[in-house]
Amino acid sequence: MARYRLGVLVAGFGLLFAVLPAFAHHAFVAQYDASKSTTLHGVVTKVEWTNPHARFYVDVRDTSGKVTNWNLELASPNALRRLGWTRDILKPGDQVSVFAAPAKDGAKMANARTVTLADGRKMVAGVAAEQGGVQ
Amino acid sequence: MTRHLTCFIVTAFSLATLLALPAVPSFAQGQQSQPEPPGINPAGGGVPMASLEKLKTKSSGPTPRAPDGKPDLSGIWGPDPHMIGDIAVALKPGEKLPLQPWALKLSKERLSKDDPNASCLPSGIPRQSPFPFKIIETPKLIVFLIEGNVHTYRQIFVDGSSHPKDLDPSWFGDSRGKWDGDTLVVDTVGFNDKFWFDGIGHPHTEKLHVIERYRRPDAGHLAYEITIDDPGAYTRPFTLYANSPLLQNTEIMEYFCIENNQDVAHILGKGTPAKE
Repeated sequence: MARYRLGVLVAGFGLLFAVLPAFAHHAFVAQYDASKSTTLHGVVTKVEWTNPHARFYVDVRDTSGKVTNWNLELASPNALRRLGWTRDILKPGDQVSVFAAPAKDGAKMANARTVTLADGRKMVAGVAAEQGGVQ
Repeated sequence: MTRHLTCFIVTAFSLATLLALPAVPSFAQGQQSQPEPPGINPAGGGVPMASLEKLKTKSSGPTPRAPDGKPDLSGIWGPDPHMIGDIAVALKPGEKLPLQPWALKLSKERLSKDDPNASCLPSGIPRQSPFPFKIIETPKLIVFLIEGNVHTYRQIFVDGSSHPKDLDPSWFGDSRGKWDGDTLVVDTVGFNDKFWFDGIGHPHTEKLHVIERYRRPDAGHLAYEITIDDPGAYTRPFTLYANSPLLQNTEIMEYFCIENNQDVAHILGKGTPAKE
């Protein structure tokens, strides 16, 4: 159980990202709030290698001990492949840290921007708003 | 103004990269050395666009030719980031989209959740997504295989035929091409009015008539102008200017957006125009 924990870092530099619009099949700024980007620590419970976004789900335990399953959005598999990802990089049971921009509507969803894997690798992940972010 | 915006964005990107991604490997480091990181343009970009950066052909050569002497446009091409979020950035500098009042009002009112592209409907023309497309050129038919969004195709008939009469309105219309020297001129009519020209929702009507002019000035680049003539929504025709890089060591891949599209219910508000 100790492996579950929540780390929250509200990044001040997130404000830098917020000014940059983002598009592809939907606008990043209309769905996620980069200014509230947060680091989530937890354990992967499920991976969906699908379009328009690969997704993975992470159980995160907060300071009160409550476990919440977060739905984390990655880029699409074609883009991830071209960045060197493979579909088995994330597996259920993996401990991960995810720097993510949460959904504006309060859902337990977030756009994963970097994923730090159990072996220490740090992967560029989803819609990077700082790059003009796209879906 | 545009230069200041660009400087600010580049500065913001550089700071953000330094602060947020210090351990990200070559992907981010490579971007920092470039004058304008891929996808930094306010029109769009992001990870999918950046994922194509290392695939751009480094060396080029003379324009490849088909056996009939025409330029061979075949290849896998990267999108132009100006053709994604707000097509106004693809106009000549200083120019504005000549929207009719109702079209200007509608483009300001449209919300991202209502973007057909967000619901995995086709982009139509001229909108692009940050994914490659593949051109296959034959003497009488040129095919565009489009990775996304959505995963689809276009057919351009270059057999001297004319548009059929009484076309049903469609997402990509009916395209007929002819060669003007080394330029492929594509004339398309028969569009529906459902798709948005870009992410912020510039509209059009079924009166839309699109003329595309494609050149391959060298092996590694596709240069094209897209003239939009829609007397239903714009006060005059206007032309967008775009370029695509040849990509290597990749293939177009599947992008069936409808497979697991969870986004629409969570989209609030609208995207930000690239400029007013």
